[in-house]
This record gives sequence, C-alpha cells and structure tokens, in this order.
Amino acid sequence: MRYDVTTGPIDARELEAVVTHPGAGAICTFSGIVRDSSRGQSVTHLDYEAYAEMAVPQMRKIGDEIKERWPAARVAMAHRTGKLEIGEVSVVVSVSCPHRHEAFEACRWGIDRLKESVPIWKKEHAADGTYWIEGDEAKPATG
Amino acid sequence: MAVAIAVRVRFFARLREQSGTETEALQVQPGATLEDVYGVLRRKHPALESDRKAVRGAINQEVSDWSAVVADGDEVAFIPPVSGGR
Repeated sequence: MRYDVTTGPIDARELEAVVTHPGAGAICTFSGIVRDSSRGQSVTHLDYEAYAEMAVPQMRKIGDEIKERWPAARVAMAHRTGKLEIGEVSVVVSVSCPHRHEAFEACRWGIDRLKESVPIWKKEHAADGTYWIEGDEAKPATG
Repeated sequence: MAVAIAVRVRFFARLREQSGTETEALQVQPGATLEDVYGVLRRKHPALESDRKAVRGAINQEVSDWSAVVADGDEVAFIPPVSGGR
C-alpha cells in the first residue's frame, strides 16, 4: 500500500509496481489529467493545494475500505500539488485484484471516494478568471 | 477568570486567501467551540467566508461539528468543501 501527496510528477507505473504480486491477475489504474477547458472556458493551468497531514490518512482510510469490500485488493494512491500544466497527471489510483471486474470496480470506487473526501483543492486559471472549484461551484480566487 | 487556551489555526485554499495567512496562533477561552473560534477569526479577518455551510472545521486533522470543543494545543483547521469533479 502506498499513499502520497507530492509536489513532483506522478509515475503511474511506480504505483502499479507497488500493487502487483503473483496473485494479482488484474491491475486497474486511473490517471486524472489536467484538461484544457472547464465550465465552457479555456483553462491555462491549475494549482492544487492539500492539507497533507489530513489527506494522507484519509487516503489510507479509503484504501482500508477498499480492502474491506474487495479483500484481495492492493491499493496505491498519489495526488500531486502545486502548479500543473495541461496534460499533466494530477492524481493516480492503482488497484490490483485477482480478476478484472473487481479491479475496475475497486479502482472506480477509490477515485470517487478520493474526489469527494480527501482535503485537496483545485484552483483553475481560466480565460474568464481564477476560481477555486468547490463541489459544483466555482468561486473567484482572491489570492 | 479561567486561563486562556492556545490553539494553532490553519487555513486552506480559498479560506487561506481570504484570511491572508496559512497559520496563526490564537488564544481562546476554555470551552470554546469551533463556532467560537471561527467567530473570533472572522472578527480578525473580515473577508473570511460568512456562510458556515461553505466551511468545514477540523480538530487535529479530523472534520468536526461546529459545536465541538477545542483543547489547549489543538491544531484547528478551516477548510472549504473538497473539489469533487465528475
């Protein structure tokens, strides 16, 4: 298991190396990528900010929940912080399981839980201004 | 008069920008709740979010109710809702 909040680039292959083992017939890896548009506006770059001392334990909790639901699963998660350019990887969740169906399910469940519960925030630098994204709302940044 | 207790306050993301600070030391009365602490901070930093529904409080890295009581030495953080996304 591995749970990271990091300012450096994330290598999905490294996370896959953490979860692979001889009994794992399937590894499902989700990579979140910085997109060039949002809310109908073009986006130039993003800033991610984390409460790392809370985010890493919350990731670990999600990993534990995955193992309760899919006991054979192994999990690794990493989220990047700081300035990210279009096309860069912001988040990776990698899950290994004996078979593909459970690997897909567990990986999807993991990234959904991460997005809704891990204290990491996204600031969008877009054509119409700079916004913090909070759930469904985009709120103007002031800093 | 009871002795004040000291907490370390941290702000994140939009709340950090509104307060103009990442962290500050604050003294509050014993028995103070997260609501009380946020009230003190809003008087110091009037730009801080007024809508409590747009703010979560955490004590020692655990999201807590507004009625939760803080203790001496606690790390008290105020955070916006998490970004979500589809």
